[in-house]
Amino acid sequence: MPPFGKVLVANRGEIAVRVMKAIKEMGMKAVAVYSEADKYALHVKYADEAYYIGKAPALDSYLNIDHIIDAAEKAHADAVHPGYGFLSENADFAAAVEKAGMTFIGPSSDVMNKIKDKLDGKRVAKMAGVPIAPGSDGPVSSLDEALKIAEKIGYPIMVKAASGGAGVGITRVDSPDQLVEVWERNKRLAYQAFGKADLYIEKYAVNPRHIEFQLIGDKYGDYVVAWERECTIQRRNQKLIEEAPSPALKMEEREKMFEPIIKFGQIIHYFTMGTFETAFSDVTREFYFLELNKRLQVEHPTTELIFRIDLVKLQILLAAGEHLPFTQEELNKRVRGAAIEYRINAEDPLNNFTGSSGYITYYKEPTGPGVRVDSGVEAGSWVPPFYDSLISKLIVYGENRAYAIQAGIRALNDYKIGGVKTTIELYKWIMRDPDFQEGRFSTSYIAQKTEQFTKYLRQQEELRAALALEIQSRGLNRQGATPVTTSQRQPKSAWKTYGLVSQASSRVMW
Amino acid sequence: MKLYRVYSETGDTYLMAVDSKGNVDKIKTEANEFEIEYLGKGTRDNEYLFKVNGEIHHVFVDNGYVFVDNASVFKLERATELPTKEGESVEEMIKGREGEVISPLQGRVVSIRVKEGDAVNKGQPLLSIEAMKSETIISAPVAGVVEKILVKQGQGVKKGDTLVIIK
Repeated sequence: MPPFGKVLVANRGEIAVRVMKAIKEMGMKAVAVYSEADKYALHVKYADEAYYIGKAPALDSYLNIDHIIDAAEKAHADAVHPGYGFLSENADFAAAVEKAGMTFIGPSSDVMNKIKDKLDGKRVAKMAGVPIAPGSDGPVSSLDEALKIAEKIGYPIMVKAASGGAGVGITRVDSPDQLVEVWERNKRLAYQAFGKADLYIEKYAVNPRHIEFQLIGDKYGDYVVAWERECTIQRRNQKLIEEAPSPALKMEEREKMFEPIIKFGQIIHYFTMGTFETAFSDVTREFYFLELNKRLQVEHPTTELIFRIDLVKLQILLAAGEHLPFTQEELNKRVRGAAIEYRINAEDPLNNFTGSSGYITYYKEPTGPGVRVDSGVEAGSWVPPFYDSLISKLIVYGENRAYAIQAGIRALNDYKIGGVKTTIELYKWIMRDPDFQEGRFSTSYIAQKTEQFTKYLRQQEELRAALALEIQSRGLNRQGATPVTTSQRQPKSAWKTYGLVSQASSRVMW
Repeated sequence: MKLYRVYSETGDTYLMAVDSKGNVDKIKTEANEFEIEYLGKGTRDNEYLFKVNGEIHHVFVDNGYVFVDNASVFKLERATELPTKEGESVEEMIKGREGEVISPLQGRVVSIRVKEGDAVNKGQPLLSIEAMKSETIISAPVAGVVEKILVKQGQGVKKGDTLVIIK
């Protein structure tokens, strides 16, 4: 018996399609909502029913609570899944869903109100014993106070918006002069983005890596931590490549975080899924709590692949009041291999990652062993300029991290998208970078490597353009061909080169 | 020697000076130089082999799309031959076009910070384009005088559109 009859997915793009896949597999009906810009989008075609909710700007559609509740009522939905972004962490939306007599697949509005912003999260983290970075206890009222706190904890520091996410209003500050320079600007940015100008200060972790823990809880007070994901490869504080488990952590370092995280869940009676974002210093081996994300994460598939569980189905079952199906010990036994996720963004890495909207004129997804694509587009899709640039996610699995990288290189080569610029070519470069392969990186990786990858990507791009010009000028378009002899490349070595044997155990993988 | 502006389907533009000698073309761009030799057809229908700076590349052509070494896709929208002056060097040819400010993305012009006749320094912000939740500032690629502004505030632009000309 399915937990619900019909579930409305209040989102768009790849996550809407991903959630609908779980809904359909569980024998329920999936309802989509769409804006003017998404009339012909994949998530609309994939759903069992779809309802128009307004004009293209998100405020008129995907962020309009009334319009979405209206659609859910028209569809007679029993539950609403918010995906990530948009209204996924909005307590008013959760309350509106509850008031309309439907189940919100996520934390209740009461729970969300307990940890409205990052500062609430920090306060609870302190109570639970989750390590937090030294800094201000609450919002900092003035620049003078900010300068005093910064002096006390020492530079570098991070200035952050109390409400918010997606990297907006977060700045590293190295000196008092710089703090004076960014203070008013960040207040303005925070107000524009989140409607609240509150800022706070934290000590900057040395050589930070972004590591997040997956908390899963049920309504009966049972909790597990599905280990961690490392999301250190970022640009402008936004993630590009994520992996599970983190190549930086030892088992004891990982495990020492489980107890305080579970205690955090118990304090606020958190049920469903949540993600503890932390900054981890490679140098001091300390974690600093950043925030609790009260939703499904973009990078959830990496956890799914190493644990072989479906987090969306689990999230739906927990919302319906089911018990957690495993203990921490049982979960730990399920872990196997390594997974890497690449966010395929319609962006130009050679132009400061500016968005690249337009029509996808050519589209071929990679398939095969260890490869998964969660996509919101297909050939002919329009990538509108109104929303974020994520169009799909490529997730690869390997028996260990080195083999996952091999699978990644192969799958990235097989992934072909025409019509818009994407981050695929950049990821191919990163996969071949010895620093990435050896796990030597911090959140500054992209900034530090920009010069190197820019030179390479530009050279490759110009080479493609030059060869296309050659093809055109020589009139070689669409001509028949007479084969000529070419040398056949032979594999250099056998099993180990191609990841068919685990280096540790010498056993056959697939 | 011929000078081309090559437009990709995604709106990128490339300036290429092409010097042909028999089966070999020397192509110079703003940042790179390629010696390209056409070797002939490949084993597959519509596949061609090129030696570029000593390395062999397989180029497969399908319906206007060019697949290089079966790992990346590229589509050329058009290539326009540009006029050149007698005795002009390749560097001069390419440099002469650097004052043409091309839009690097599709979006909407939200502000224009200069007017025709203004003197600008290299790197000085000229205008901003908004797309996909972010604003991109377009800066002057060279120092000079703003000769022509070809867009208006609020106007939609495509990648590859000429926005401003600096002389």
